[in-house]
Amino acid sequence: MTGVPARQDPSTLADVLERVLDKGLVIAGDIRVNLLDIELLTIKIRLLVASVDKAREMGIDWWEHDPTLSVGERDMVQENKALRSRIAELEAASHRSAQEQT
Amino acid sequence: MSGTATYLYAITRPIPPKAVAGMRGVGGAEVRVIDHQEIACLVSTVDLSDFGEQALAAHLEDLNWLARTAREHDEVIRAAARITTTMPLRMATVCLDDAAAQARVETVAESAAAVLPELDDRDEWGVKMFAVGSSADAEQPPEEPATGTAYLLQRRRQLERRDTELETAAGAADAAFARLAEVAVASRHHRPQDQRLSGVPHPMVLNAAFLVDRDAEGTFRAVVAELAAGRPPQALVLTGPWPPYSFVPGEQP
Repeated sequence: MTGVPARQDPSTLADVLERVLDKGLVIAGDIRVNLLDIELLTIKIRLLVASVDKAREMGIDWWEHDPTLSVGERDMVQENKALRSRIAELEAASHRSAQEQT
Repeated sequence: MSGTATYLYAITRPIPPKAVAGMRGVGGAEVRVIDHQEIACLVSTVDLSDFGEQALAAHLEDLNWLARTAREHDEVIRAAARITTTMPLRMATVCLDDAAAQARVETVAESAAAVLPELDDRDEWGVKMFAVGSSADAEQPPEEPATGTAYLLQRRRQLERRDTELETAAGAADAAFARLAEVAVASRHHRPQDQRLSGVPHPMVLNAAFLVDRDAEGTFRAVVAELAAGRPPQALVLTGPWPPYSFVPGEQP
């Protein structure tokens, strides 16, 4: 084997799910199933993240090392609010300084 | 519902039963071989209380169960691929008993026998590219803008820069795919993974699979190394060898 300067990671759960759910030979079994495809699964996880604590209870935490998620979307709402009021302040200040100049 | 059913993992070239001794499938059940002429099918017994229609539908809604079962399914297929040429089946292919499984295997035997030679002595490799260090990662303004207008201008410039960077990254991804495809037997694009699934805090710009001759693995790795050179360490990720999940025909009659 040659050296591998590129990072070689063990397969992540996402890599496995994308293959076992969306790829592979399909033969009709006797049990009918509707597998969630990876896209729907992603949407589902997005919804689930809204209740991170519940997910954690279920032992699902593979996004935990993702900093954009680990704080939860509730914090994003707070941050959005803070940013909005900051923009309003800045705009008011800019408006005032424009008026003072005239 | 009570009783058992037969879970199917993969169609393979013939495997002697002793080669799968000790192999465990979903729920820890022993893996067995069903033979049909020039092909074999790896199966195990599952409880209908878990794999009956209703139970399965309920389980598939449980991401924790789904994750565990996906891993167990993948483990068997990986183990099979280490023994002989293997065509993975879609997860949760379940027949009522071995006789029903045998009948299914017979119906796909001819087409499977035609596909197996395409997969002999070849592995699947995954290559993912991320736009690392783009402004899409870090959106901190460099300095406190003096006015609201300055802030909005700065924000607009930031968004424009990010669009340009993502376009450049997409171009680089196309070039990388083309370069890797040259040294592969076949290649496929997968959908770039959502950051919530990838667990990587950078936008994924390429998610591809390549079928590579085992003899050409060194060459393939060399191209990956060449593409990784001059990029940030996390920009290019190689996974594999995988069983050829992405290179078997999807639907069968």
